[in-house]
Amino acid sequence: MLRLLGALALAAAFIAPATAQETLVVYWTKGFYPQEDKALDDMIAKFQQKTGVKVELSRYSPQESVPKAVAALDSGTPPDVAYGDVFDFQVAGKWAYEGQLEDLSDILAPMKDKFMPNTLETTYLLNDKTKKRAYYAFPTKRQTMHIQYWKDMLAEAGYKESDLPKDWKAYWDFWCDKAQPGYRKKTGKRIYSVGSPMGVDSSDSFFSYLTFMDAYNVKLVDDNGKLLVDRPEAKKGLVASMHDYVDTIGKGCTPPSAVNWKDPDNNVNFHNKQIMMTHNATISIASKWLDDSNNDKLTPEQRAEAKKNYYELIATGAFPNKPDGKPMQYRQAVKVGVIFAGAKNKKRAKEFVQFMMQDENLTPYVEGALGRWYPVTKAGVAREFWTNDPHRKIVHAQFSAGVVNFEFTKNYKFTILNNENVWAKAMNRVAAEKWPVEKAVDEMIARIKQVAG
Amino acid sequence: MNRYWREARLWLVAIPVLLWTLLPIYHIFLFSISTKDSAFSGALWPDHPTLRNFGTVFRQEHFYLHHFWEQIWNSLWIACAVGVLTLFIATCAAFAISRIKVRGGRTVMNAALFTYFIPAAFLAVPMYKAMGTYGLLNSRWSLVLAMVTLASPYAIWVLKQASDKLPWELDEAARIDGATPLQLFRLVYLPLMTPSLVAIGTYALLLAWNEYLYAFLLLSHENTIPLAVGLGHFLASDDSPWELLMATALIYAAPPAAIYYAFRRYMVGGLTAGAVKS
Amino acid sequence: MAAVDIAVPGGNRALTPISPPKRRLSWQTWGVIMLAPYVLVFLVFVLYPVSYGLWLARHPASYQTLFDDPVFFRTVVNTIVFLLVAVNVKFMLALFLSGFFVHERAWIRWLSVIFIIPWAVPAIPTIFSIRFMLNPEWGLINSVIFRLTAQDGPNWLNNPSLALTMAMVVHIWKALPFWTLILMAGRLAIPRELYEASSVDGASAWQKFKFVTWPSIRTLYLTSTLLSMIWTLGDFNSVYLLTGGGPADLTHVLATLGIRYIRLDQVDQAMATIVVALPFVLPLVYFMMKRLSTNE
Repeated sequence: MLRLLGALALAAAFIAPATAQETLVVYWTKGFYPQEDKALDDMIAKFQQKTGVKVELSRYSPQESVPKAVAALDSGTPPDVAYGDVFDFQVAGKWAYEGQLEDLSDILAPMKDKFMPNTLETTYLLNDKTKKRAYYAFPTKRQTMHIQYWKDMLAEAGYKESDLPKDWKAYWDFWCDKAQPGYRKKTGKRIYSVGSPMGVDSSDSFFSYLTFMDAYNVKLVDDNGKLLVDRPEAKKGLVASMHDYVDTIGKGCTPPSAVNWKDPDNNVNFHNKQIMMTHNATISIASKWLDDSNNDKLTPEQRAEAKKNYYELIATGAFPNKPDGKPMQYRQAVKVGVIFAGAKNKKRAKEFVQFMMQDENLTPYVEGALGRWYPVTKAGVAREFWTNDPHRKIVHAQFSAGVVNFEFTKNYKFTILNNENVWAKAMNRVAAEKWPVEKAVDEMIARIKQVAG
Repeated sequence: MNRYWREARLWLVAIPVLLWTLLPIYHIFLFSISTKDSAFSGALWPDHPTLRNFGTVFRQEHFYLHHFWEQIWNSLWIACAVGVLTLFIATCAAFAISRIKVRGGRTVMNAALFTYFIPAAFLAVPMYKAMGTYGLLNSRWSLVLAMVTLASPYAIWVLKQASDKLPWELDEAARIDGATPLQLFRLVYLPLMTPSLVAIGTYALLLAWNEYLYAFLLLSHENTIPLAVGLGHFLASDDSPWELLMATALIYAAPPAAIYYAFRRYMVGGLTAGAVKS
Repeated sequence: MAAVDIAVPGGNRALTPISPPKRRLSWQTWGVIMLAPYVLVFLVFVLYPVSYGLWLARHPASYQTLFDDPVFFRTVVNTIVFLLVAVNVKFMLALFLSGFFVHERAWIRWLSVIFIIPWAVPAIPTIFSIRFMLNPEWGLINSVIFRLTAQDGPNWLNNPSLALTMAMVVHIWKALPFWTLILMAGRLAIPRELYEASSVDGASAWQKFKFVTWPSIRTLYLTSTLLSMIWTLGDFNSVYLLTGGGPADLTHVLATLGIRYIRLDQVDQAMATIVVALPFVLPLVYFMMKRLSTNE
């Protein structure tokens, strides 16, 4: 009896895989609002219908996307396709260097022309095993830094939008010395004016800081990835930008808990009107209200309030001019996904990526985020979606004026520095531990040299 | 006069203890019946207490609540599985070590004690890697087996202590009558050990229900995570639904509190029994 | 497989030999079968993971990187402070409260039932609740302070020292009931007559404690303190759920540091962190095991 059972079991084990449906394992990042997730689900449904392949989708929060992919990699069962909002910041360059990624040149090189300049190039990464560069990741969308503020809070403080200074120092001093006291006096509420993300466990903090650094024209690496931090002008710029960044918390215009903020926290504080303005790496803050205004699970009053917030009360603005008087230069981060070299179903994975890169699939996916992400394709950028909306208009203008890339696109070791967030560490040395700015910056530079030199 | 002073002294201790114990619990309750605005205003009692938050939770109406019922079911399933499995494994092991006096029982007991004393957080990373190797990551079984591993040592030890107190005459009588070990186990041992079994089953169940670190390391799919991890995910939301978080938290905290109170007689006796011997 | 060859408790009484029917297994064999599930669990889920973990931690380079990481030193200091302060404060409170709770009053018994709540309820709801209460901007505590004094309350969770202190407070809040219970049980085991005799001799409350209570529960107290130190070393929840490691990784303890490395995809270092803690944990564990084994 036992023997018969054993034989049956063995037979079943052999037959089962042959008749099992083909699956594709996909890891993705959970969006900030339902519409983003729905757009991906729709695209996957279309793919499943077209190819008959079952897609097993796992969604992770932004901070978890890296550990979960790594866990899968380490246990020898990596997903076929993986996308993470922070992959470019933290792991893509490293994984490419270590030879863990599949070369995607065969699908991406033919599509080169549909991409905007300076986007696909960020995925042209070095593989230390082959000692050559190739396209090791696929770009999907991108982000840059914006300023968002409450027009009504500004008005209650007694100011109009036209009162916002255009010069660097005057701008930040305005929020701290005029807007905050004005608002506090008028309403008696203990709010803060500038929400500067400073948490170590966040990407907003270093995106924001590096933007400040760009305002001072600091170049950390040259085009070959060689470090330039030892130059005196680099150090000067780093100290000046760090000083400006932590100045607001020192003066009491930034909430004390900012030193511990994770990525959603400046959004949270903004939505609760505990800060008047914040610099954020996407317009997710404004877009959340757009999403709410269409959310039928909310009451009509809540939807109306959301609509008002989005169209009338929240402004997306540009940074002030750089301290040297020239217009602000922004940096972009191109969000990428990867196919692992050790994946089981690379053929279908590549098919999936090709399918996704088609305009009729990529555009709804990107636009499903309601402006949080900007397209990387020429077709995406040309859409009316980007000019028919007060917030997205500004985003479009910022990108159209030209953006620069992060250091890790030239020297992948900067992903390690971003991971440990040397930038936020330095901020915290000054803000929480009361170190002088110079000392914190010296420590930061030393660590940069130690890791990326 | 002296007597009043003595009573007053007791009250002087009791009141701070009560405040200290209940303040965080009250705070959960406070948030769960508040609207978002009054929650953030730092009030001690909301202006307009409402049960709406619970409605939102039960109807899964918030982005981070879409899988609430699934997650609470996962918590329940995992907790029960851990309770049952731990009970089975520990009861058998304790019987073998204590009644049968199996050879090598002492070594196994020591190995178990070792596992019990090592802080669980230290075993988490190796367990996480091992589950990866076994291919169990993201399956609820990984958490169940991990929790059974953590709960069994203490369970075995408590059951062994309790079992050692049972009279030996019963065993001898049973053997003389020609009983097999299995019969002794089923007909004599289990009925006598019932109070301890209840305590241990409850202990294992609560341990699994309350677990956060292992759950969060081993499970991450929205459908497999227990409610504890789901609560943690709230912190990633960008609209600070803390009143919803606290309402969910209250729902999550209620079963352990209720179970503990229902079984506290067993719990206190069973769990402190071993300690007092030293 | 003679059934007679069984270790008989009480030693010398011989049993009537029972010759087993052909398919009956001996008691020892049953013992092994019943022990097997746990042994299997131990091998698969303790021995293998621990060995694998130690194997992952074999590179000396991981330790070098670990010691170079500025976070590590701070973490070790935090952990030592946490252990010494939190555990001892907790036990002094437990000692005191155990004396309180053994008073025989109905209302005290009710209070003791309520007192257990922190231990019975899960960590996430309660620690998040405390976290929100302590939020420096809108939390309950600072709001009340502002209402009473028109001043901003302290920055509970973002001042590194305050944050670590709060983590210790959370730990004590959660763990105190359990240890109070243990010490209560210890106190209740002391025979009443000793107290009555000392009362007859005119002893004061303090003298009763010093000469009757303390000698009897001293061992329990010390053993419990040691055990608690081991467990506190592994207290992940108190720090992680309250501060997440604090501003700029300044409130990490060894238990949370390992997880931080996992997040950063540096598993070797996570294991190295744990191995580094072992020289402190293992002697304590060994000591505890000896204590409990000698009480067989």
